[in-house]
Amino acid sequence: MQIEEVKTRVKKVTAEVLEMNVSEIADNANFVTDLGATSLQSIRLVAGFEEEFNIEMDEDKSLQVQTVSEAVTFINTYL
Amino acid sequence: MSNRKKDHPLVNTTEPNLLADTFNYSLPPLIKFDGPIIEYIDGKPVEFDPKSAVARDIVITDTTFRDGQQARPPYSIAQMVKIYDMMAKLGGPNGVIRQTEFFLYTKNDREALDQCRDLGHKYPECTGWIRANKGDFRLVKEAGLKETGMLTSCSDFHIFQKLKFKNRQECLDAYCEVVEAAFEAGIRPRCHLEDLTRADIDGFVLPFVERLMKMSEKVPEELSVKIRLCDTMGFGITYPGVELPRSIPKLIYKLNKECGVPSDRLEWHGHNDFHKVHVNGGSAWLYGCDAVNATLFGVGERTGNPPLEGAIIEYISLKGDLCGIDTTMITEMANYMSSIGMIIPDNYPFVGKHFNTTRAGIHAGGLRQAEQIYNIFDTTKLLGRSPRVAITDKSGVDGIAIWVNEYFGLTGEDRISKIKVYKVAQWVMDQYEVEGRLSTITDEELESKVKEYMPEYSAKYNGSLRNL
Repeated sequence: MQIEEVKTRVKKVTAEVLEMNVSEIADNANFVTDLGATSLQSIRLVAGFEEEFNIEMDEDKSLQVQTVSEAVTFINTYL
Repeated sequence: MSNRKKDHPLVNTTEPNLLADTFNYSLPPLIKFDGPIIEYIDGKPVEFDPKSAVARDIVITDTTFRDGQQARPPYSIAQMVKIYDMMAKLGGPNGVIRQTEFFLYTKNDREALDQCRDLGHKYPECTGWIRANKGDFRLVKEAGLKETGMLTSCSDFHIFQKLKFKNRQECLDAYCEVVEAAFEAGIRPRCHLEDLTRADIDGFVLPFVERLMKMSEKVPEELSVKIRLCDTMGFGITYPGVELPRSIPKLIYKLNKECGVPSDRLEWHGHNDFHKVHVNGGSAWLYGCDAVNATLFGVGERTGNPPLEGAIIEYISLKGDLCGIDTTMITEMANYMSSIGMIIPDNYPFVGKHFNTTRAGIHAGGLRQAEQIYNIFDTTKLLGRSPRVAITDKSGVDGIAIWVNEYFGLTGEDRISKIKVYKVAQWVMDQYEVEGRLSTITDEELESKVKEYMPEYSAKYNGSLRNL
């Protein structure tokens, strides 16, 4: 899967969970400090990424991911 | 200008120092001392060595059936026998719970005593409790008891206003006459210095106890008078520098070192009117009383007495060893007492429904990572009670994950990650944020939602509320 496709799908899931437009999500946006994710929404993001990409990520490591671009890189290691 | 007196450089490390010598988790945290206790008495510094105090044969005595029963409807005989039997198992074969005292006035009192002794336990030894009345020794004698407590109230509130003595001498003589009667009956008297913390210590208490010690010199050791220090109204204080009669260190010192009552004949009996009952009891051990008198779950007159189970945990913390104590009996006794109508507050230490329940999500997160972070000791092993989380909007996903794993009985690597429980967590949050709920989520509700939102796990594992 191309990295651009991963990024597009990460932004799509992020927009769904955080109830915002994809256009509002910058590549280097921080899920918590820029996009305002709560702790529960952070968990939902991880769960959403797992469903979107049909993968199972390490819980602790996945919750340490802070930005959209980090998420893209991290998820790509499972693909 | 800096007020610093000493530098404290950081000891940097990559390995945590969890202070395992004190907080070893398999026992309640140990109470360690690194020096003497100093108390100024009559203007001079007096040292108390807590280490040697802990090394003495300190014990717990029980008054659940006397003071405890004064604060509630009477127990049935069967209930008393059941409680006595559990108390024996709790205190163990070394007699950490050394004695328990019984009323002797009614047929039921005496029948309960007989049935308890028929169980054949060495400990707790059964003793009596009577008024300072010579005629009452007949009851003690007939019951075949070797020791009885007797009221020897010592404040002027009692001497003059309650008992109506004309003067202190008349009171002292009357008490000593009853003690003499005890000796004659071959029964060891345990003089209960009622209202001691409101008494004239120099003017009455010390002369009275001195006379009791002189009387004791003329009888065999096994009959010599014991002294119970009764903090009847909970006025006793452990703070250094407090004056008599409220100073517990000074009271014990005066009786122990000046009147010569040995520690094994000194017993502390407290009340909780000022929330000091437990620490006062523990301190009495350190200052020279071998025995601390307690009641199961602290039930006693008004605000109660030192809680027996609290004294047990304190004992283990001081001794650094279980000493034969079966701590799981604390939970069994709580269950039994609840079954016969006693209400135990949810936040009551060691036995309350929520004594080791955490509600805050950030605490639940700690609990999920390492149980010891938010559990006082290994409550699963020592009390049969694993740490719990109660689910509210403050529980966070960590709290939900702990609940779900307990519900499915999953441990170690089998535990379900919190990522898998987010739907349940979202439902919980919606209850509060969308529905405006104010109450805690019940176990039954959570079970229903786990089945609804986590069907694959419900099919795989045998979830049960009994696992909680």
